[in-house]
Amino acid sequence: MRYKILTVDDSKTVRIIVKKAFRLYDCDILEAANGVEGLAVASKESPDAILLDVTMPVMDGVEMLTRLKSDPALKNVPVVMLTAEGGRDNVLKIAKIGVRDYIVKPFKEDVLIQKVGRIIDLKPLDATPSKAKSILDEANLVVIEDKPAILQQIQDGLRHTPWKVHGMASTTEALDFCAKTPPDLVMVSLSLPDESAFTFFRTIRNNPKHKYTPVFGLVVKTDNAAQQQAQQVGFTALATKPLDMTEVESKIAKAMNLDTSHRYFNMDSGILTLAIPDNPTQHVINEITNYLKPKITEAVDAGIGKAIINVQALKRLDMTIIKVLFQAMQTCRELALHFCLVGNPAIIAECKGFEDTRNWQFYNSLEEAQASLGAISVTSSSA
Amino acid sequence: MATLHEINETAFRETITRAVQDVFKTMIGQSAVHANANEDHNLKSLAINGSQVVGSVGFIGDINGLIYLYFSQDFAQEAAGSLLGMTTQEIVESGDEVVNDAIGELTNMTVGAFKNQLCDRGYPCRLTIPSILRGSNFSIEPIGSTTRRVYRFNIGRHTLVADILMKPADAIDA
Repeated sequence: MRYKILTVDDSKTVRIIVKKAFRLYDCDILEAANGVEGLAVASKESPDAILLDVTMPVMDGVEMLTRLKSDPALKNVPVVMLTAEGGRDNVLKIAKIGVRDYIVKPFKEDVLIQKVGRIIDLKPLDATPSKAKSILDEANLVVIEDKPAILQQIQDGLRHTPWKVHGMASTTEALDFCAKTPPDLVMVSLSLPDESAFTFFRTIRNNPKHKYTPVFGLVVKTDNAAQQQAQQVGFTALATKPLDMTEVESKIAKAMNLDTSHRYFNMDSGILTLAIPDNPTQHVINEITNYLKPKITEAVDAGIGKAIINVQALKRLDMTIIKVLFQAMQTCRELALHFCLVGNPAIIAECKGFEDTRNWQFYNSLEEAQASLGAISVTSSSA
Repeated sequence: MATLHEINETAFRETITRAVQDVFKTMIGQSAVHANANEDHNLKSLAINGSQVVGSVGFIGDINGLIYLYFSQDFAQEAAGSLLGMTTQEIVESGDEVVNDAIGELTNMTVGAFKNQLCDRGYPCRLTIPSILRGSNFSIEPIGSTTRRVYRFNIGRHTLVADILMKPADAIDA
């Protein structure tokens, strides 16, 4: 459901500025030029919030507010006064009638968004469900850490990714950065002085621009109190020190809802290739398992009828890997894909040692496998 | 009740300067610099040359007054464009009404920021609805009982003239 915000102001300029301010958010802006029009629109549309000027012709904001509060159907609609009338006496008088908030002109668009964002759950337009970004896309990561060695470890550990890691030593510096460049993810050390990580978290969560930005807490593995506090206030995830960068990278990809299938699946020259990495963790195996059916289906939909399952990089074989390979082959069979396996001598030898895998036929190189699948194609088309 | 004479010249200058600077910086991202050299007080006649868009907003209460902000035609279009996020070309195509409304709102905000400071100094008053004048080569003379102060501000390559006309509440019927 899209939220409705009603702006009541005799100045078309202010109504345009309000519309402009909310253009990146999932909401509709309704307009009225005075209190009479405002009440009519409010009755008809039941807005979720009203931005109300004070000085207007026909019916001013104070009268509209008074009538609104005496109407049982409208009295609960939150009203934010947006007006040049900002003297203490005026503010107190209007506050007594019952306004949720008060913005004195001149105002910055950010203030408008923030104050309305406290009333309704404003979602940025790009936060609505859309095609997930890929692991191959650039992203801005902000890391707030006063220990240079940790920051360096994170920058080095993510160097192979397309992500840009912006290291900062203080939350003040980070807030300035975030105001200019909305980050895709923030990691903040929970051991910063004066609990500033938690203050930072509250500040950016109160800003609708960053309401959905994933925030990780960087915390020492044994600091249970900080971990508990971070979970209670709603940090997206924790990255525990000493950092396991493979795990951190996976958590980041998950938090940013990235399509990571490109790490394992590739469609090129009419062949779908599934490559198992050298030392896959359980998380990696789970990822591959989850992608198996959708990726093979996608390949079939794209007109691809051949697949290569490549375990050449694999260093050791275990039951979880054997299971995922069985599943991959079974899915290929179900969807009528011609497939073949590529392995290295150690893995091929290990497979010979198991009853269930001893009949698996491997090629020693991708080129051989591709040539073999090419021959299938020639045979099929000439048949 | 406080009287108008209790507000000294420095306070007036600081109040209008803060109002102009705050509004123009916040709304159109431009710094306003008070041009001391051209400051005039109790002028009998103020001459403004060239095509102007003039916004005026009054305030009524313990102090009554009216502030005129004089924008050259170019400055008015430029300021309206910045305020609305439109190019000068788009502003020209949109017509004078859009510029008038934008200048009315900038004046409303500036006078609001000015009079809110007066309210907080103990002179409660409220704003009137903005009005706009357009014309060339103005020559303005206030009525005798009015206190007049004129301040000029450099904003980018333009000059903004703020003409403040005020009289205390007890002088309304005078």
